[in-house]
Amino acid sequence: MASPGKIRNRKPFSTPRSDSYDQDDEDHVHAVYQRPTARSAFEQALDTPKASVAVVGVLTALAFALRFYKINHPDQVVFDEVHFGKFASYYILRQYYFDVHPPFAKLLFGLAGWFVGFDGHFTFDNIGDSYTENHVPYVGMRALPAILGSLTIPIIYAIMKETGHSTIIAAFSACIVLFDNAHVAQSRLILLDATLIFFMSLTIYSYIRFRKLRYWEFSVEWWSWLIATGFFMACAWGSKVNGILTVLTIGVAVLIDLWDILDIKKGHTLEHFWKHFLARALGLIVVPFIIYLSFFYVHFAVLTHSGPGDSFMSPAFQETLIGNELLMHSQELHYYDVITLKHRDTKVFLHSHPDRYPLQYDDGRISSQGQQVTGYGYEDANNHWQIIPTKALPEAGRGRVVQHEDTIQLLHMNTQTLLLTHDVASPLMPTNQEFTTWPKDDHSRHNDTLFYLDLIDGNAGDAWKSKSGHFRLIHVPTKVSMWTHTKQLPEWAFKQQEINGNKNAVEKSATWYVDEIVSTDGNNIDLAEINTPNEPKKLGFFRKFGELQLLMLQHNAGLTASHPYASSPINWPFLISGISFWTENDTQKQIYLIGNAVGWAICVIFIAIYVGIIGADVVARRRDIEAIPEHIRNRLWNSAGFFLLIWAVHYLPFFLMSRQLFIHHYLPSHLASALLAGSVLNFILSDTINFPISVAGRRTHMRPSEFADLGAKGPVVVGVFAVIMFAVFVFMAPLTFGTPGLDGDAVNSKRLLSSWTLHFAAKNT
Amino acid sequence: MRPSQVQIDFGSLPETPLRSPSSEFEEISYPTPPLHTIIPATARTDDSLPLHYMQSAEDTSTRRRVAKGPGSSGGFMSGSGYDTDALLQYNDHDHKDGHSKLRPPIGGRVSSGRLHKPYPTPPTSISDFIHQNLEHLPPAIYTLLSCWTRFHKIGLADIVVWDEAHFGKFGSHYLKREFYFDVHPPLGKMLVALAGLLSGYDGNFEFKSGEKYPAAVPYVAMRVMMATFGVALVPLGWYTAVELGLSPWACHLVALMILCDVAWLCISRFILLDSMLLFFTFTTVFFLTKFHNQQYHSFSFDWWLWLGLTGISIGCVTSVKWVGLFVTAVVGIYTIEDLWDKFGDLRMSTRNQLRHWSARILCLIILPILVYMASFKLHFLILNHTGPGDAQMSSLFQAHLVGNDFWKNPLEVAYGSKITLKNMGWGGGLLHSHVQTYPSGSNQQQVTCYHYKDDNNHWLVLPRWNEPAYNPNNELRFVKDGDVVRLQHPPTTRNLHSHPIPAPIAKSNYEVSCYGNSTVGDVQDHWVIEIVDDIRQGKKDNVNRIRSLTTRIRLRHDILGCYLSAANKVLPQWGFKQIEVSCVKESDPDDIHTYWNVESHWNDRLPPGDVKHYKSPFLRDFWHLNVAMMTSNNALIPDPDKDDILASHPTDWPWLRLGLRMCGWGDHQPKYYLLGTPLVWWGGALSLMVFVMLLGTYLVRWQRRYVDMDATGWAHFLYVGKVAFYGWFLHYAPFFIMGRVTYLHHYLPTLYFSVLMFGHVIDHCVFSARWKEKTKRVVFGVATFAIVANFWWFRGMAWGIEGPVNEYWGLQWRKSWNIYNA
Repeated sequence: MASPGKIRNRKPFSTPRSDSYDQDDEDHVHAVYQRPTARSAFEQALDTPKASVAVVGVLTALAFALRFYKINHPDQVVFDEVHFGKFASYYILRQYYFDVHPPFAKLLFGLAGWFVGFDGHFTFDNIGDSYTENHVPYVGMRALPAILGSLTIPIIYAIMKETGHSTIIAAFSACIVLFDNAHVAQSRLILLDATLIFFMSLTIYSYIRFRKLRYWEFSVEWWSWLIATGFFMACAWGSKVNGILTVLTIGVAVLIDLWDILDIKKGHTLEHFWKHFLARALGLIVVPFIIYLSFFYVHFAVLTHSGPGDSFMSPAFQETLIGNELLMHSQELHYYDVITLKHRDTKVFLHSHPDRYPLQYDDGRISSQGQQVTGYGYEDANNHWQIIPTKALPEAGRGRVVQHEDTIQLLHMNTQTLLLTHDVASPLMPTNQEFTTWPKDDHSRHNDTLFYLDLIDGNAGDAWKSKSGHFRLIHVPTKVSMWTHTKQLPEWAFKQQEINGNKNAVEKSATWYVDEIVSTDGNNIDLAEINTPNEPKKLGFFRKFGELQLLMLQHNAGLTASHPYASSPINWPFLISGISFWTENDTQKQIYLIGNAVGWAICVIFIAIYVGIIGADVVARRRDIEAIPEHIRNRLWNSAGFFLLIWAVHYLPFFLMSRQLFIHHYLPSHLASALLAGSVLNFILSDTINFPISVAGRRTHMRPSEFADLGAKGPVVVGVFAVIMFAVFVFMAPLTFGTPGLDGDAVNSKRLLSSWTLHFAAKNT
Repeated sequence: MRPSQVQIDFGSLPETPLRSPSSEFEEISYPTPPLHTIIPATARTDDSLPLHYMQSAEDTSTRRRVAKGPGSSGGFMSGSGYDTDALLQYNDHDHKDGHSKLRPPIGGRVSSGRLHKPYPTPPTSISDFIHQNLEHLPPAIYTLLSCWTRFHKIGLADIVVWDEAHFGKFGSHYLKREFYFDVHPPLGKMLVALAGLLSGYDGNFEFKSGEKYPAAVPYVAMRVMMATFGVALVPLGWYTAVELGLSPWACHLVALMILCDVAWLCISRFILLDSMLLFFTFTTVFFLTKFHNQQYHSFSFDWWLWLGLTGISIGCVTSVKWVGLFVTAVVGIYTIEDLWDKFGDLRMSTRNQLRHWSARILCLIILPILVYMASFKLHFLILNHTGPGDAQMSSLFQAHLVGNDFWKNPLEVAYGSKITLKNMGWGGGLLHSHVQTYPSGSNQQQVTCYHYKDDNNHWLVLPRWNEPAYNPNNELRFVKDGDVVRLQHPPTTRNLHSHPIPAPIAKSNYEVSCYGNSTVGDVQDHWVIEIVDDIRQGKKDNVNRIRSLTTRIRLRHDILGCYLSAANKVLPQWGFKQIEVSCVKESDPDDIHTYWNVESHWNDRLPPGDVKHYKSPFLRDFWHLNVAMMTSNNALIPDPDKDDILASHPTDWPWLRLGLRMCGWGDHQPKYYLLGTPLVWWGGALSLMVFVMLLGTYLVRWQRRYVDMDATGWAHFLYVGKVAFYGWFLHYAPFFIMGRVTYLHHYLPTLYFSVLMFGHVIDHCVFSARWKEKTKRVVFGVATFAIVANFWWFRGMAWGIEGPVNEYWGLQWRKSWNIYNA
């Protein structure tokens, strides 16, 4: 049925094709063969390898120059260097810390710091702390992101070249990032984003190389680029949590690819499909995961000492760290020990004093007028409680150790009364039960003084330990758990914290621990057990890894506190607001993270144009109008479409996140939009493109090639853009480099959008 | 949403070799003539069964056929009747966009909904008539059963149950014609009021929660009228299933599930909006399916009828609760796909294209908006007396209401006047202050915008500090444009104040607080009055004194130059969810959030104003009220400080993790527990998962050219699946994004789509598949029994549990349900 002369003209399906791979979507019979030598002189000159090397050389040199320019300024802690510099010093000191980001980039900083002789004793406490006064070799540490940030430029260039764009277009995309103030500012400070972006661009590059080898499936090069993709992907993911979006991008691309392979028109067997599937599973799931795990392995191997991150972790984890307080002081508790109990979240002691609850509260409710039980933040003899058994005890031995799910009473030492709760509303919360005490000798309320001990993650028979044994105290008759919250009681209770019974017996925040053993029963305590500092315990790597991952996720989602420079994602592409990184009042210097206004505007406009072109193409073909030549459309959908996918996957998920978000989260997407902008510019300037770009296999039908030819207008247009972007970059450079200082009017003139909250602006009159 | 591309591929001519013999799977040569292209002659004459149902018999021999795709764009409208010239037309490029063109129909048309039936000849005898209408017997029986379940013991609880406290009260407001404010649109509440009117209720009951109904309140009659909407759900569900082209077995199951769900039953039996919301949701889907079945009779009377009814139904459902926008979205997606298909139909004339477009715009956009606006028009017409909701509206609107005395205000504001200031932004409130202080910033006394009348809204206009203090015996001085004044808050004697401290929410603005007292203060208390214009007197140049109600003014801070503004930002709990007031630095002369007008005005030294009538245009009031509703709705966010035991998270719903106690749980009162029939809910949720898996499997097999269904079957499978899945998804996913607090009853409209999906999946897998008749009967029997038995087990949830609840055994199917008293 093939009708000659029609556009979609192809061999009938029935043709035996076992001997050849079709070049599938690049099959265009009508494509005109063009001689490479027929192109314009500019194109030919620029297309030679020498010219290409020269261009990329100049771009890279410029990138290094811009990112290393005055890298020693300011010699003070800037923005999140507070965190990431500090983490580097923890690696050097080998002290355990906790952070929401995976460790790879921070390990690199630790390594860089160690390399330049940083001893780790500077703590990066506040923005504005001086490096020079504290003898911190900060330039060496800042050099790492600056190098990675600079190397991103040739990678962008290479990505564009590999996807069939001409040299000048590749240079255009590279320039957008090269002259971008936000990328520069982010790359010359001790921050994670440069590492993330570097590895993300490497991932994209590797994946494109891998895709181009699809007719050489299972060859050595094919495998190499597949594994490389997986490796770099893991590095991106290991640098920052956001790197997971890179993984997601590749995941989506691979699914689309596999769906194509599955298509029966390709003539592949199912076995062949599974081979492809397994290869990708190996290269893009197994390998990255192993790499990712290995970062954590190194992380745990380096951080063997107790540090500021201890308290985030479970007791079992903490006991693996040298010098940990739990490890040093955690002891089993015995009946008749006198102890202090502390609330895990609010760090108050369980406290009681002879004062009583007032008969009637302000809102008219009535209390039991019992003795007050409160939460108190300071050491006090009224915090002492004795553990009273409710069962017969042996004279000595293990039987006297308090165990998980034992029923106990707590005796307040100073007033000799037992802790009690009952169905009376607490002073502040009508829904919760009041806690009070009851004389020890009055047995009329015996049942109400019974509590059972519910150790968190405890198993039957586990001993209750001080420090490490987190527990809930559940009231036996009413099943409420002892709980406290940050609200203060009024004057009658000296503004101490309210303790009440929470009806949710498994309430997470009702967790307490024994802070200290004040005195023991005496006779049957093995003194040796108390005094020897314990050896660090061992915990399997996977258990540690699992616990840390879970905590990272929880804390990442929990970062919801408002921040003056946080912004919502919709603002980012339009550069509505930036972040003030650093200011110095005397000289009126400031670093303000903001992108190159022209570069970002180009990106947004070109994304819009791309969406418009694609939309128009879909609509036109719906009406059977073929407006775009096949090979151009192919590249628009596949290459530029891939860039759009990267942009979308690195951007849209932020809309669903409720954590605090900053404009630097958009930088990976900005890079993708720079790639897309190159493709769109190519489409606007010319209807030629290098084609085909995939490496032909042994059995691939050779097709006539086409060559991109932008003529003279390419270099001119890109040159003009580059000059404008450079000019804007220089104009905004004082905000990026933090020098020189600006007077009020200069600040005003650089405030291109009224929403930028720059410091030292002159008063508007 | 759509398969990636269209493969209308009808195999090759019989004599053409199909594929190379090397292909690795079983092939069966293509039978001639092609099976699916034309409806078999038998089916044309005897077509009481849906088409896909007919074809199963033929398909038994050829489970796997080669080189024949499911053959449809997967669009709602896709049929397959276009045939032979499509032979060997491969759509041969792998574009990512579902590039497809419908070929013009040649042979018989195949609907993806219910099969079109020729109209029967008029009946000539009684038996003819009965025979022709036999199909309406089952729904009639179900409707009677539905009446019984809905009305049975409906008056058992003679107390105000659950949200009857709200909606009963709103109904009373209509009867007393007092203006009130609520976050829901008015249609549902007007129907409640209508029910009250018809049953002779006089509107004088307060509907306090848990209170016993006095003899004068005909609550049973009102409940019965509400429950009537619930009764109608069952036949609507039945006919929708029929129109969707489900087999009779599946129709029975769908109707039974709607009949037997205790949550739908329970929510329909009280004076609530949900029964009406559900009713209009059901009608929307029903009209849509009716309309779909007219797809090959464009612009016929029936076509217009069902399209128009769909539009009206959308308008009604949205006028009951805004949740109705979700079902509107379903109709929207259907229409977009439909028009996209038409757009690709190259044989259709441009004129017809335009007619299709304008018909949709007219019926699905303009008509619903008109219905929605009409409900508000009626709302304003009925509520012409002052009431508790006045302060939500503009001062001018309020001046209209009977019982309002704004018109008695002295006309022009002078020093020493006591005034209230109303923000002119949409939904703006009255400038307010109270003794509570800001927890951050300056820690001074809060200034907010408040929507209810209260002494804390009063402000005294006083001269600035460096002028002689106001003396009531001096000559009267009127306030003019450009005057610098001090506004004192009489209850606390503090002065309206601003300073360069960031406001609590809008951080870029300055905080506004109340500071000092009647003798202590500073120049930060000074505000410059700038007149914008006057509604009656016109432009600023003609206005020299401030008139109450009509003059629009802005208040500029004398020192900072910022403008007093209230921009609908809601303060957290410490500010009692009132609106933040701040001072904006940028002077935008068109920002109505910085416009204020004097609302109430008291000054003993001035004569009361004249009786004047101010016109307040309807569209302005309509828009104003809607913005106010939106603002209040957004303020209904979960309070982290308060553990609301009634609220639930959307993830709790499909698997029925939680129920809801609707009233007190004492031993001597009937107790109602909002809980679905577990089998219905679980079955629905499960069927959604099964559908997604089925679809995935079919798509993968389609990519490998296995043919599981003919084109009609595939189109039907997708069409029904999409209606149900989009409906469910669009009614469910938005709740995750919404910040507001959510409750179990928000899932009730969503449940309908999961029930339809259950019917569809079980129809697809059992009743329309190649099972033995006996197997089908057994499956149907078991399913029916299980649903009915399950309903009977939990009937007390909706009919009222009498006596101590702990005496009922076996209700605690999930640990998380709080049916029993612990």
